[in-house]
Amino acid sequence: MIETIVKIRFKQIYRALIGLGLIRIIFLIGLFGFIVFVLFIETSKYPDSYYVTGLTALIILMVHAKRQDKLFLKTNFDNYKRICFVEYLISVSILITFLIFHFQWIPLLLLLSALYLIIQLDLKIKKRNLNTKLQQFIPSECFEWKGGVRQTLFILVTLWIIGFCTAFFIGSVPIVLFILGIIPFSFYEKGEPYQMILAYEMGTTQFLFHKIRMQLLLFSVLTMPLIAAFLVFHFERWYIPIAEYFIFISLYIYLILTKYAFYEPNSKSTSAQIFGTIGVFSGIIPVFLPVVWLLSIRFFFKSKENLNIYLNDYN
Amino acid sequence: MITIKDINFSYDRNSKVLDSLCLSLSENKIHGIVGLNGAGKTTLLNALYGLVRIDSGIISREGKNLTKKDMSFLVTESFFFSNITGREYLSLFKNHKFDSDKWNGLFSLPLDQIIDGYSTGMKKKLALLGILKQDKPIMILDEPFNGLDIETCRIIRSVLLRLKEKGKTILITSHIIETLTNLCDYIHYLEKGTINYSKEKHDFAEFERELFESIENKNVELITELIE
Repeated sequence: MIETIVKIRFKQIYRALIGLGLIRIIFLIGLFGFIVFVLFIETSKYPDSYYVTGLTALIILMVHAKRQDKLFLKTNFDNYKRICFVEYLISVSILITFLIFHFQWIPLLLLLSALYLIIQLDLKIKKRNLNTKLQQFIPSECFEWKGGVRQTLFILVTLWIIGFCTAFFIGSVPIVLFILGIIPFSFYEKGEPYQMILAYEMGTTQFLFHKIRMQLLLFSVLTMPLIAAFLVFHFERWYIPIAEYFIFISLYIYLILTKYAFYEPNSKSTSAQIFGTIGVFSGIIPVFLPVVWLLSIRFFFKSKENLNIYLNDYN
Repeated sequence: MITIKDINFSYDRNSKVLDSLCLSLSENKIHGIVGLNGAGKTTLLNALYGLVRIDSGIISREGKNLTKKDMSFLVTESFFFSNITGREYLSLFKNHKFDSDKWNGLFSLPLDQIIDGYSTGMKKKLALLGILKQDKPIMILDEPFNGLDIETCRIIRSVLLRLKEKGKTILITSHIIETLTNLCDYIHYLEKGTINYSKEKHDFAEFERELFESIENKNVELITELIE
């Protein structure tokens, strides 16, 4: 039974890879190779081998808590815990090999124990959704923000207040701006049903510009008071929050265009997620920004092509 | 009149899902599409709505291309964006005359709650409210009665009959043939990607009997063999 499940998993991975296309597969293989290389180096020394083990266990814990096939496995297989254990063991097999290779027996033992403990846990991530009056102030067509704000309201409000009240510290607003800028990335992860795209009754170009305009508007409303507070205390350093603001504007344009370039109704596109990660990287390492700008142009045309089947009658 | 002429569609080269399909749909009527699983019902509706690019053929309304501006489409499975409320979903559709709360009197949905917590039936009702709010002249409904209780099915039937009287053209599919014979003016039988025949209201009883007999006769030997 376990053998069958493992075979099915490999087939699923194979199909997902095929769906990605050659260029993205090469990119992923490169990324995977880099991670394997880093793992090999890090597992050779103390205490890094412990950090890597801890991080891997944490990732597996997150996967175990988030996976949605647990009920399916529980109801259909008596030995579902063993199935999970084998799956996780295969997933971390490279790390296990490296730990053995470098004679890191304690981290290895810790990793195996952590896997055993994780499969015993019946974890469910409870999402807190705050249905407050605040969402009423968000325009109805910005459903991503309505949904996203519900999930992240506590963090958003807390950060915003901290940033605003501590604006006299030079690092405070830029840090808060950065975190507030990253949070909306998750709002655009999942593709909406196409009926929600059709509801706009707009042509493709008009639709894309509208989505970008609304995103920039809401981000500006969120960040402008913080930028103003920073300028009051540190006017001579005006370029810091302004540069940050414009970097995020670039990233949002890229993010929206990436989403619709790979848009699939009701699902998260793997390609959009991979390219979205490049966007997040360029927020941290601005050297990537020209890549983002170039890709944005490419994805604008790809988005138009991809959305055409839904919006062609409104063009 | 909506005219579907010689449309062909295939997902791959080996098999045609729609095979030179021809169908004329008179307006201000309710049309039912019946067919076994895999007959091509949903593909036909997708083609009509323009969600798949047909390989060849013409779909027109009074000689002009049929566009999404004229149609609303209720899909079989209702999907919504996470963490938004029913009211927020409905507010996406631009029809200021539509009183969501009044219409919701029919379905009693908790419109101010997040949709993720709705049951399957509630999601279906919400999707249907969205279709009603769009108020398009042609309504395409793919399995609208799936997952709904008897009361709601009856309410929807009454609403659809009233909408027909108001001049709407409704195209509907269902696996429960009785829901169609009670509602439709015409039933079109789809088999292997083509419309085999169309029946008018006065022929429905005969159509139903023939269809059930043919299905039962086709499988009687195998069922006997399996049970014995």
